[in-house]
Amino acid sequence: MSSASIIDRHKQAFQEEAREILVELESSLLELNERPDDSELVGKVFRSMHTIKGSGAMFGFDELAAFTHHLETAFDEVRNGRLKVSSELVDLSLAALDRIKAMVDELGGQSPADSYVSAGILSKLRELTGSGSAPSAPVSASTPVPDASADRNTTRDWLIHFAPGPDLLRTGTNPLLLLRELKQLGNLQVTASMAAIPPLSEIDPERCYVGWDMILTTAAPCDAIRDVFIFVEDCCKLSVELAAVQLSSAPAGGATQKSWEDQRTNPGRREYNKPDNASSIRVPAAKLDQFVNLVGELVTVQARLVEIAAQRDDPEVTSISEEVERLTAALRENSMSIRLLPIRGTFERFRRLVHDLARDLHKNVDLTIEGADTELDKTVIDQLNDPLMHLIRNSMDHGIESPEARIAAGKNETATIHLSARHSGANVLIGVTDDGRGIDAAAVHERAVQNGLVSAEAQLTEAEIFSFILMPGFSTAKQVTDVSGRGVGMDVVHQRVEALRGTIDIASKPGAGTSITLRLPLTLAIIDGLLVRVDQAHYVLPLANTLECIELTRQDIEKANGKHVANVRGEIVPYIRLREFFDIETERPEREQIMIAETEDGRYGFVVDEVLGDHQTVIKSLGRFYRQVQFVSGATILGNGSVALIIDPHRLVQEVIKGTARSARGRPVSAPGKSRAKEERTVGSP
Amino acid sequence: MPVVLDESDGFSLIRLQGEVDIASAAELKSLLLKALAPGGELRVNLQEATELDITAMQLLIATEREAVKSGLRFRLDGPVPDNISVAMVDAGFRKFPVP
Repeated sequence: MSSASIIDRHKQAFQEEAREILVELESSLLELNERPDDSELVGKVFRSMHTIKGSGAMFGFDELAAFTHHLETAFDEVRNGRLKVSSELVDLSLAALDRIKAMVDELGGQSPADSYVSAGILSKLRELTGSGSAPSAPVSASTPVPDASADRNTTRDWLIHFAPGPDLLRTGTNPLLLLRELKQLGNLQVTASMAAIPPLSEIDPERCYVGWDMILTTAAPCDAIRDVFIFVEDCCKLSVELAAVQLSSAPAGGATQKSWEDQRTNPGRREYNKPDNASSIRVPAAKLDQFVNLVGELVTVQARLVEIAAQRDDPEVTSISEEVERLTAALRENSMSIRLLPIRGTFERFRRLVHDLARDLHKNVDLTIEGADTELDKTVIDQLNDPLMHLIRNSMDHGIESPEARIAAGKNETATIHLSARHSGANVLIGVTDDGRGIDAAAVHERAVQNGLVSAEAQLTEAEIFSFILMPGFSTAKQVTDVSGRGVGMDVVHQRVEALRGTIDIASKPGAGTSITLRLPLTLAIIDGLLVRVDQAHYVLPLANTLECIELTRQDIEKANGKHVANVRGEIVPYIRLREFFDIETERPEREQIMIAETEDGRYGFVVDEVLGDHQTVIKSLGRFYRQVQFVSGATILGNGSVALIIDPHRLVQEVIKGTARSARGRPVSAPGKSRAKEERTVGSP
Repeated sequence: MPVVLDESDGFSLIRLQGEVDIASAAELKSLLLKALAPGGELRVNLQEATELDITAMQLLIATEREAVKSGLRFRLDGPVPDNISVAMVDAGFRKFPVP
């Protein structure tokens, strides 16, 4: 590889890393706005800035490094207690962050107009920090870290052990620059440890085998020393300890006590503190998608192998087929877990949106986050950004009242938007809840009647009324009322969520707020399913929802007087017969099977002719034509090449409940639920 | 090319020129192996080198060890530029350059 391409690769790596740090930095700044006295947070912000500056300079982004340096200097002042965190400083820092983001995207360069903006930010920053003239702009990666928080009168000896990880050099880091940066903090004695250097023929020329033991005599605190290694800490072994603690000739009394305190508050030892990161690699998302697609194909082929092995009745083939099945299942699980990401990054991004919108709308809004570590498939996360943005914007624009209106209504002046995520079976529930004015159901209903979506006489449940908000065109109408108005962009949310095979639940209480829950599948690719048969048709029920399987005999049905309920160890469980639901008119067998599943509406049974067994189900989309068929979440190809529909138990139960309720009180003209009867036949007669 | 190998009578000479860093490390390794192969004496000239990074330093140390083990002579040819000496001291290589 040529050195130019090595540099390009490193620059690209820097860009990726910097973007990640900037996201983190942004959310730290916003948190700082809420907790201006949190010194840990200030330290975190400072370190992030220092990392961007240092690695920026290392890869030749001098302008970026210089710009970030000024920002870092301001936060150094904060760290030293000479400057207070104010909303002005946070706003200015956020603006500066946007500039840094742009510089990272443009690979360090700036147009003259951009430079003007940058200069404006810096000049305001200088006004704030009280430094009249422009601070000198150190640009080199070996810039010493100024740290006035150190007790300049106390010089201490620090024992530093620094062993670069195997890949440190490949990231473009030059350890010598780090040693020189350290040297600028005080008097440094360096000893290189060369024991790990292998024989010449075995050396990997791009790997660092040398480690260093150093004694640094300095007045700088532990933090300043560790900051030198801040952008390599993930790929090195680093320990920073006070020599006084280790040496038997340590000064007695107060000095020793202080050393121990330092040890406690600044734990210096970092034994590959993030082992996962140290041994992780970056892979383009497209490659990962391709990998999962291939695993999907493999699962389908493996199903054929099982089928053929069963027909052959050859123990050898059966054994191979079982082995392939086991491996495929492991591979599938593995590939799925690679794609799972915590939703934290997506959630944190909205802190900025809420902060900016609150400022523009003159509202006070707190964003609270719950369950940010909940993991979801990468594809789902990628698609979630827009719907969440629309929901939050709606909440901020229409849901949340002005501070005056809130006070008049006896509410807290500061409103809250709560983002939450949690697992529920094979789904993830993402919630956006506000404590605003809520949706006026009567007004929505009235508007739906005006638009001809429903007859004025139709008696609808609140949930049915709220579902009109999701209809295309409904939202683009003039404001529903001044009180409600929610709906802008909701059709976009609806479409996106539907494309993810998810559902939206809206709950609202006038005056108390609105809660919108997105129910999304954990993965869009492959699930564990249970293969069942009704007459000649095959269906798959997601295994995560199913609890048990019991038999249903004619006697059982007679005992229940023909009602669709089963007695499961004393508990009465209602059931839905798939044969009836899908209008399959052949004679049902003497003994049927009930699959008991946990749904949102409680336990339900699904009656089938036969349960065939578990099935690794590669989900294939049914296409736009079947988009309105909510109770089917896709289809899968079986080993014999035939197609089985994948049932969504929640939606199927809801569909049946809705159908029963409608037949009891008359259907609306055209509710969003659509006419199921027609679609049932389409689906039920493959 | 920052690394050049001259094979003269009785010794091999490797000249390091300009910036010798990770980009030329693989090349330096293969030349050092090649230079060690025939036996005799190996000399390394750093006079025209402006920078020596850790990859080059550890290769030279491994070469020195290899030479000692095989009973070969390994030495520096000509003076070492100041900035290279400073870099070596900064990196804590007290025993290097080999006299």
